[in-house]
Amino acid sequence: MPRYASQTVLDVVTHIQRALDPTLAYRYACRVGMCGSCAMTVNGVARWTCRTHVDRAAKDDALEIEPLRNLPVIRDLVTDMSGFFDKWAKARGRFEGGASRNDDFAKVVPQSREREQVDAAIECIGCGVCYASCDVVTWNPDYLGPAALNRAWTLVNDVRDTTNTERLRAIAGDAGCHACHTHVSCTERCPKQIAPTAGIAGLKRAVAKAALRGEL
Amino acid sequence: MTFRNETLLWMLQRASAAVLALCVVVHLATMVYAIRGGLSAAEILGRTRGNYGWLAFYSLFVLACAVHVPIGLRAVLAEWFKWRSGARDLALAAFAVLIAALGMRAVLGVFL
Repeated sequence: MPRYASQTVLDVVTHIQRALDPTLAYRYACRVGMCGSCAMTVNGVARWTCRTHVDRAAKDDALEIEPLRNLPVIRDLVTDMSGFFDKWAKARGRFEGGASRNDDFAKVVPQSREREQVDAAIECIGCGVCYASCDVVTWNPDYLGPAALNRAWTLVNDVRDTTNTERLRAIAGDAGCHACHTHVSCTERCPKQIAPTAGIAGLKRAVAKAALRGEL
Repeated sequence: MTFRNETLLWMLQRASAAVLALCVVVHLATMVYAIRGGLSAAEILGRTRGNYGWLAFYSLFVLACAVHVPIGLRAVLAEWFKWRSGARDLALAAFAVLIAALGMRAVLGVFL
């Protein structure tokens, strides 16, 4: 493998596909850390390959590149992400407001606690790195996973959303936030420096409060 | 099990963990303190027999164990052994009773 300065793991995979094995299947789009589609397991760690320099990831001048864990493999380095995104839908990851086009804009104070919680979690681009790094997903395939729960957390804190009781029902229980063991792998590995663990802990508190109020 | 009951189990486990944290600290501190002067078993029993304070403390300790341990095992059985059925919960309820019975037997053994 030719080596050069600032070479990324994605460069290596691309070289293999173009020069060594044209049958190699892998997925990428933006190459600059915006789309999240090039996530793979590099030397045992889920990463964005486009933002991972070979110099930093190689051990003893060797790279072992595998598909993301916890997802079915379609071919080579390409995983089937549909189950991952189905869980976003299961966690009611869709905004459901109560206002119509005739209403005025909602006013959300940027410094409000809820808005700050949303800001800390909203930048997720759905790359699946956290999901592939989560041991609980491995042990419990029904577990919604850090990304879907992080998305639910942003909506629980969205003061405009009107379906939070249903959302809390959807994310509670053994396949939801209560399955999290706080291993913090998702937070450790998230390329966007989001802390899904903190959001999941927030969901546990929100669910507990709703249960005590008899809303669940 | 409904998500509401699963939430209640989670709250029970957190609450029992808080109780256990306190109980373990008190228990260890008491043990270290009790053996410093070389207390004999008879001397220890002399202090615990008829002492309602220790009875209450260790009964709380046992109760917290009986609540906390089966809920933790529930997750272990599900994740490591794929046992998620209602039979698992019945078995764990029986295990909770066993922990409580054995624990209270020990507590009453030094109280009566």
